[in-house]
Amino acid sequence: MEVRYQVIVLGGGPAGLNAAKYAANSGCEVGLIDAGTRLGGQYWRHTGREEFDQSVHHNFDQGSLLMDAVRANPRITIHGDTTIWSVSVINDEIVLRTKDGALITQRLILATGAYDRTLPFPGWDIPGVMTPGAAQSLLKGQGVLAGKRIIVAGTGPFLLPVSSGLSSHGAKVVGLIEASGKYSWAKSSLELLRNPAKAFEALGYLLELRRGKVEMRFRQAIIAAHPGTDGALESVTIANIDSEWKIRSTYKLSCDVAAVGWGFTADTAIASSLGLTLEVDAEGSVTVVVDDDQRATQSNGAIQIYAVGELTGIGGSDLALVEGAVAGLAVADSTRDLKLLRKRRRKLRRFAQALTKVYPLLPGWKSWLSAETTICRCEEISYSDINRAREEFDAHDARSIKLLTRCGMGLCQGRICGRSIADIMNSTPQERINSAARPILTPITLGEVAQEGLL
Amino acid sequence: MITFTFEGVPLQVEPGASIAAALIAHGERVTRLTRVNSQPRGIFCGIGVCFDCLIEVDGEPNQRSCITTVKEGMVVKVQHGS
Repeated sequence: MEVRYQVIVLGGGPAGLNAAKYAANSGCEVGLIDAGTRLGGQYWRHTGREEFDQSVHHNFDQGSLLMDAVRANPRITIHGDTTIWSVSVINDEIVLRTKDGALITQRLILATGAYDRTLPFPGWDIPGVMTPGAAQSLLKGQGVLAGKRIIVAGTGPFLLPVSSGLSSHGAKVVGLIEASGKYSWAKSSLELLRNPAKAFEALGYLLELRRGKVEMRFRQAIIAAHPGTDGALESVTIANIDSEWKIRSTYKLSCDVAAVGWGFTADTAIASSLGLTLEVDAEGSVTVVVDDDQRATQSNGAIQIYAVGELTGIGGSDLALVEGAVAGLAVADSTRDLKLLRKRRRKLRRFAQALTKVYPLLPGWKSWLSAETTICRCEEISYSDINRAREEFDAHDARSIKLLTRCGMGLCQGRICGRSIADIMNSTPQERINSAARPILTPITLGEVAQEGLL
Repeated sequence: MITFTFEGVPLQVEPGASIAAALIAHGERVTRLTRVNSQPRGIFCGIGVCFDCLIEVDGEPNQRSCITTVKEGMVVKVQHGS
């Protein structure tokens, strides 16, 4: 099968939905591709049961309207449940390969989103330890509580909706453990106060946490997880940490789920495959460089590629919506509303940058690692394996570590451990960009490739 | 409700549930034992990125339980190795 579209949008979250809507309303025939069975991405992940979806989302009405508009638009064809396993530019066309054939275009809008950033710590591979995003996707997409006694930990604003959602739907949230200080928001207070809607949203979560008697603890972190007799999570060790995140004192809490996350990492795999110019932001996060129209830079002039949403820097759903709109207009050569949208984008980007200052990652987390701590979950490579490669083989950079230990060579292709290894090895920005490349975007069996006639 | 089996035990879930959600709703947290050290693993990223919640479905290993929907009569087993 080969299908051609004037515009293809990759990703059905806030950014991709809005990009598809604006492009279609400006006259383009759009193919919207998403790996999920329902539109909405991670942010508007839902069950399809209206009442429940309303109860578990901050603003499901907005998402619901947008998803309905996209579904009803005759110029948009939705390819749900569709995973891209490779992407290439052939004869001035972008060819996206799926198990069912190729989707082809000259104008591509990437809205591939982000996933939770994780840090390794002793016991983080025990079942029951998961990302806040996992707990959130179980609740929002399945209506299932990840556990009965849950600790939400790490850093960042995302911990608030996760813990308040779990608490209000019946889980006992034993604690919200935030590594940043209680008053760290004061560092960016001016910028934060310029966005009262966000302040009210945060206030709503805080009230919900108070109602659920969820205790918030600051300058603390989960530094170890411990299994019970069945091998799954039974308790965690929590540390009071100093301003560099080194351990001062510790105590234990029992729980059946620890949802631990440290912000987000953009999924730049497809952007990297297409040879788009990438850069590393202040957080060490790899992002796609875009111009004022969200257009990415790449070598081939016949094609146009745009990047929107978390791909251009972690910024949340409001910014993603605006970036999607800008790209949707630009791809259709329309200038309607563009000035207003750009102004709003500037404001939201400033807010996103202010937030990252409130929740920085500090290097002391490396002192939580023990020799046995798993670093690469797929290939079961421990911290001592990495240190042995450094000492015995004089490995200085992340690439040498990968070749010597197989770190990052498993099924996830370094999506989970890559950034942490870069931090452990103090990688340069260029090394971080190089290590974000994933030639096979999603693992596929040779049999499936053969069926496609590609061998 | 639809019925599938996990380790031979029949379990009931709402239509549309992922395998991971169905197992967690029934208190099951382990989806596989790892290849090298035989360590238990379960759902981690929840969105198909990390490949940690792999499980055996109808004799096929390496299925991501977090993004695989339960179907009537499915035979699901803990995955041993790869």
